Amino acid sequence: MVNNKAQLKIQQMAFMLMAITLFFVLVGMFVLVISTSNLKQTAIELQEKNALSLVSKLANSPEFSCGEAFGSQKINCIDADKLMMLKENLAKYENFWGISNIEIIKEGSGTTICNLVNYPNCDIIKLYPEEISSEYSNFVALCWKDSFDGRIYDKCEVARLMVGYNG
Amino acid sequence: MLKKNNKGFLQISFAWLFAIIVGAIILSLTIFAVTKIIGTQETVIGAKTAKEIGILLNPLETGFEIGKTTQITFPTDTRIYNKCDKEGIFGRQGIQISQKSFDKWTATDVEVSFANKYIFSGNYSEGKTFYIFSKPLEFPFKVTDLIYLTSSQDNYCFIDAPNQIKEELSALDQKNIFLDECENLENEIKVCFNSEDCEIQVNYGMKTVKKNENILHFETDALMYSAIFSDKRTYDCELQRIMQRIEQLSQIYRDKESFISQRGCNSNLGNNLIQLSNSAKSLTSSTNIHSVWNIAEEIREKNDVNSRCRLW
Repeated sequence: MVNNKAQLKIQQMAFMLMAITLFFVLVGMFVLVISTSNLKQTAIELQEKNALSLVSKLANSPEFSCGEAFGSQKINCIDADKLMMLKENLAKYENFWGISNIEIIKEGSGTTICNLVNYPNCDIIKLYPEEISSEYSNFVALCWKDSFDGRIYDKCEVARLMVGYNG
Repeated sequence: MLKKNNKGFLQISFAWLFAIIVGAIILSLTIFAVTKIIGTQETVIGAKTAKEIGILLNPLETGFEIGKTTQITFPTDTRIYNKCDKEGIFGRQGIQISQKSFDKWTATDVEVSFANKYIFSGNYSEGKTFYIFSKPLEFPFKVTDLIYLTSSQDNYCFIDAPNQIKEELSALDQKNIFLDECENLENEIKVCFNSEDCEIQVNYGMKTVKKNENILHFETDALMYSAIFSDKRTYDCELQRIMQRIEQLSQIYRDKESFISQRGCNSNLGNNLIQLSNSAKSLTSSTNIHSVWNIAEEIREKNDVNSRCRLW
């Protein structure tokens, strides 16, 4: 009789301890899930910040900027000829700016994607083929060397520089 | 009767023993988990801070002139480790953060890296406040903006600097950079341009910086600042990364040259750009920088003359 009572107590204790352990494990998992989702959110926020800070500055980076190729030094001016050559060398620039996509879209024109055959009579210079879920944009001047009757001249149009990130 | 009582006093029931053992196991597991979580959180904070510093550096990569100083302040003592890796097409600029917690530096293994940044500093910079400024490098086309990071604990005293350097530095208004008058400074680092009794000696004519018995060669003021504010290992590594960028940009300009020549716009710089690309690729230490610079100068002159079809 005494033995049975003791066994029952041990069983009660064991179940109680298991319940407490399970409770703490569940609480721990809950905390872990919340902190992981916070971490993902932080990563997305950092990508967003990066895209936002890059969009206003990317046009002035050496791979994009006009420099003095179209007269004097210009700010927020993209050299379209150089950009087309960058597009040809893009494999080397994978993950270089830490963003998913870069597009330059001529304002008020169509949807023809630029390639070496149709350039400069096209509308969008798309650097990376990846589809993007979120983006920031900034207005820039898009300039290139054009020719008419054998005479070379500088041509510039207003365009939008779009920087995409996967958020 | 007495015997029976003594036995009962010493005896611990199995239920208690079981509870103590399992309780101890649960407590140990909880303490282990909490320690791990704290460690992970420290790593997360370090990685997040490093990434944020990188993002904060984006606006510095802008212009055509030396920029204003940016100040970063941390709530606690922080070490910013400068990790340079020249492997790959562009190499990587790594940043590691370690912060003081309970009077101990947190262990850092997480490194946040960027391919498009070039930071010049010592192996690590320590303090609560850090100053950052940037200067564009043209070699002969714009290559990048070089970023200089210093701790507020280090006070740089520039003695007998050339006028344009003085003007540039005083315009920066950076609180740890002093010009000529450097009385009673703590942690003073003297940068001399005409004398030898200094931690850093700059020979502006010979384009060398002598530091800890190491001689670093430079071209342009942007690289002179790089040699002043960084150690030899960082300088050599970042210089090679810059050369990797010059190599790739030379190829893009060479392609652009042949591309626009189809529309009748000739600049005849193709061969020079190949030469620059090869020369930049083969540079292994700053000693040979002058030969790369000579090629760059020749290209710059040719490009400037050709106002109709300038490549940059």
